[in-house]
Amino acid sequence: MIVARVLATILLGGVAALDATPIAQTLFFQPLVTSAVLGWIWQDMPLALTVGAILQILAASTLPIGARTPEDYATGGVIGTGVALVLATQQPYSVARDGAALLGTFAGMLGATAGVPFIKWQRRRNEGLARWCEGELRVGNEGALAAAHGAGVVLSFGTGVLWTAAGLGVGTLALLALLRAESLWLARAWTFAQPLWIGLGLAQLLNAFVQRRLMRVAAFGAALFVTWMLLVFGAP
Amino acid sequence: MAVRASLLQATWNYERQQGLGWAFALAPALRRLYPDRERRLERLAEHTAYFNTQPTLASFALGVAAGLEEQRSDGAGPDADGMTRVKNVLGSSLAAIGDRMFWFTLRPLVACIGLALALSGSAAGAWVMWIGYNLIHQGLRGAGTFWGYRLGPAVLSGPLRQRLEGMVRAWAILGAGAVGAVTAVALVPHGVPRPLAFQITFAIALAFGLIAAQRHRPSPTEWALAAGVLSLVVTWPR
Repeated sequence: MIVARVLATILLGGVAALDATPIAQTLFFQPLVTSAVLGWIWQDMPLALTVGAILQILAASTLPIGARTPEDYATGGVIGTGVALVLATQQPYSVARDGAALLGTFAGMLGATAGVPFIKWQRRRNEGLARWCEGELRVGNEGALAAAHGAGVVLSFGTGVLWTAAGLGVGTLALLALLRAESLWLARAWTFAQPLWIGLGLAQLLNAFVQRRLMRVAAFGAALFVTWMLLVFGAP
Repeated sequence: MAVRASLLQATWNYERQQGLGWAFALAPALRRLYPDRERRLERLAEHTAYFNTQPTLASFALGVAAGLEEQRSDGAGPDADGMTRVKNVLGSSLAAIGDRMFWFTLRPLVACIGLALALSGSAAGAWVMWIGYNLIHQGLRGAGTFWGYRLGPAVLSGPLRQRLEGMVRAWAILGAGAVGAVTAVALVPHGVPRPLAFQITFAIALAFGLIAAQRHRPSPTEWALAAGVLSLVVTWPR
């Protein structure tokens, strides 16, 4: 069963890589969505959403503007949530679950950051593909456009699958021993890191929305107050 | 064309950016407009040149280009250089509004709505986020080709632009409110306040994050990695 789940996780990494840039950009690649899928695959939705939500907050403030290559939260999200879920199946104790969430979130952020060179590599490979395609069109090969697109899609899916497999494998092997030996320390670190990560991420989002406009600051304050009251005292 | 616009970035590269995807998306229109194979291939090769814009709103530019190619096929319309100029101008102006609309506003807004549900433990948040985004993303991608074709190069100079700008402003206010709601859910999940240590750490991180957000470097991820390392150091077993 675990082999099938690992394979499904790796394939999801490929699908997320496709959705991120080459096909449709539907936001299926965002960590919250992939973590919900992984939570269903691994039958552990609470842990998947805990890790996915933090990675989502960070991913939402990462912008693909112009030619900038942002952190790769498509595969990073799958790697992070995947590592946390695999670790949790090996150490299914409540203290160890907090440690798994911490290590998974770390793995996700590192996976997203270390995935950037692979995206840049793909983009450089695509330069050759574009030149080849124009040359082929000029000598009468009308099918070159479709072939180039097929190659771009396969390259992206393959890179996503391989990077997810590598991140999941290395992350799990490297971190399982640490979780077994230091689950108490990691659980303590989680109680400190979780509010830090959520606070830092939400600050980025708030700053992006507010842009020093008073009306938007008021909207933030009003929504915070109303939601707080509703949660504490319940809906009228 | 609108369906093929989904593959606009399949071969994104530093040299021509979306150029190849642009030609691929435009190919069905060129096939219809240029029955003569040589002319069609020449036009297709022309269109593989540099193009870049926000991918959803690229469909507007595709519609405009299809309309101009229709004129060209009848012997009117712009020449190759004129076509390049129109593409460049449209690419820049669509990116200017599209980046703000999708990357700075809609994506964070739907993410916040999804997060508010996810932090309450509901997986529905992921699907609300996904579906909410795609209603607008796929809707504009489909309709954009039609609007671009109908309105031509002036597509962004009339009431449509004002409507899009108005949507961006409204979403930004909603987004600020959504961040407020997520903040409340993070602090009082299911109506049970988090421990005081959590709330204080969160407040410090939020205040520090607002200061850090004034600079582009380090990136949010780099700050988060540093915060994670700090957590490990602070709680190091003695």
